[in-house]
Amino acid sequence: MRRTGFVDAVDGLGRHDHVCWVFDGPEDYLPVVARFLADGLEGGHRVVFVADGARPGDLDGVDGFAAARAAGAAQVWDLAAYGGAGPVDPDAQVRAYAAMTEQAIADGFAGLRVAANATPLVRTAQARAAFARYEFLVDGYMARHPMSAMCGYHRGELGGDAVAELAGMHPLARPSSTALRLFAADPRTTTAAAALAGEIDLAGHEQLRTALARADLTPVGGTVTVDARELAFIDHRGLALLAGHVRDRGATIELLVGRHGPVSLLAGVLQLDNLRVVAS
Amino acid sequence: MRTGPAVGHEGIFHEAAFYASDEEFLAVVLPFLQGGVAAGEPTVSIFGGHRQQLIRTALGAGSDVVFIDGGAHYRRPAAAIRRHREMLAGYVAGGATQIRITGDVPHPGVGVPWEWWARYEAAANEVYAEFPMYGLCPYDTRTAPLEVLDDVRRTHTHVVTADGQRQRSATYHAPRDFLATAVATVPDPVEARPPGCELSDPLPAHARAAVADLQRVAALGEDELNGLLLSVSEAVTNAMIHGRPPVRVRAWAEPSRIVVAVTDGGPGPADPAAGLMPAGGPGGLGLWMAHQLCAYVSLWRDADGFTIRLIAENPTL
Repeated sequence: MRRTGFVDAVDGLGRHDHVCWVFDGPEDYLPVVARFLADGLEGGHRVVFVADGARPGDLDGVDGFAAARAAGAAQVWDLAAYGGAGPVDPDAQVRAYAAMTEQAIADGFAGLRVAANATPLVRTAQARAAFARYEFLVDGYMARHPMSAMCGYHRGELGGDAVAELAGMHPLARPSSTALRLFAADPRTTTAAAALAGEIDLAGHEQLRTALARADLTPVGGTVTVDARELAFIDHRGLALLAGHVRDRGATIELLVGRHGPVSLLAGVLQLDNLRVVAS
Repeated sequence: MRTGPAVGHEGIFHEAAFYASDEEFLAVVLPFLQGGVAAGEPTVSIFGGHRQQLIRTALGAGSDVVFIDGGAHYRRPAAAIRRHREMLAGYVAGGATQIRITGDVPHPGVGVPWEWWARYEAAANEVYAEFPMYGLCPYDTRTAPLEVLDDVRRTHTHVVTADGQRQRSATYHAPRDFLATAVATVPDPVEARPPGCELSDPLPAHARAAVADLQRVAALGEDELNGLLLSVSEAVTNAMIHGRPPVRVRAWAEPSRIVVAVTDGGPGPADPAAGLMPAGGPGGLGLWMAHQLCAYVSLWRDADGFTIRLIAENPTL
């Protein structure tokens, strides 16, 4: 099962995990990258570090990394791998990582593990929109295939709202980076199209609106199912916004929730016409 | 077609009765119920244990009166209004031309603060106005305080006595006038103590976290706590969006109980019926939610601005 929630460390993450690491400087980024990739090597994964202007030997100071690089188990890529400065093509980028994952498997590895500092790729609103879409799509790929990733974003360079928008598309994030998260549901535990987690109130309504647009959830049989079992709080405006987004697509929203909790309590009072709550 | 005293009336015919014995109670309520049944009208009796039993015994089995337990029904006015309106709409859709409902709302004489029930009795004249409802509200003069009886005369258009005398209430106020001026808030005893937490201009998430922290003292049930947190979040959001700074949150906790007061510097909702119906102007939906999710909600205006006080408590209290 893949992990979801807020984390302060990346130790012990599995082959489907997707973590956003918002950082304030190299000192709280590079050591975490090293840890994440070292864990990957230990687990038999091919590991890749991607950063702007990265040189092959950048991580050779990490125990075993130079040898792994020599053996083809570790790679360092310049960010140009994402296709230069323009907005990323979300589908093409997912296909590229899918191909790399399949190659890693074919080469005898347990999977692919990527740590990327994507800060230079999301400096404009347009680039951020495309990249957030890519984050959601690649998360769906990771949920189903042996790819794990750690996406780094520099808070100081991007600003709090921008990093929240990106961190909010990950199943795992640092607690200070975003209050809400919308990501691919775990196909092993639910048939939902996506999972919504964290807390949603006045401070997060715009972010929720943006996240829903990026995820662009497709109704199945007139219903969009969202796993909300880790949604700790949503206010009435947030719930109405969520239901309205799905209503605009002519669909009903089905929220999977815990038996007790604020979401089912709120839904019971509001009784929105296209919202169905399924308690488990 | 309307029947009984409501002949020729449109909308709700809202009548109060005062009684001081079981005999007087039955003398008023039985003709009301029997008249409805005889006319083929949906006829509903919503009282707690003793009075409901008096009626059942007097009417005997198979009376065609619909009995609803008053204790659960009259726990929160916003929920009672919602259920009444659903019930009334259902009967009208089924062809009813008059629906008779009699019941007694709680007051300090039975241990419940009067404030939001006073608002209910006034708002009833508006929120049921679209339905052909004949409502009879009997009050026990042995238990209801004088100020309650006073408000009852001001919120019911008609008063009937045990001997069947019926007259217009001389002190009836238009609901909006009554709601804007007449509802007094009684301080909760815990407010005399220093608050367990006090926040200035908090974000909704900070207010929720601070109130949730009081759970260590209160140990509320899960629904009670979640209902309070939803309500606190809505109140702070309303204060930020529709009110004026400064926004102040104070909360007090005791075992099985949390009281939260959210004050902003603005005038509060313009609609005096806000909270009792889902409409009710800007912020109305959040207020209405709080009225259904908390054990008690009070609203008042003073020199500091507008305050909403939310009370959550475990039902066993």
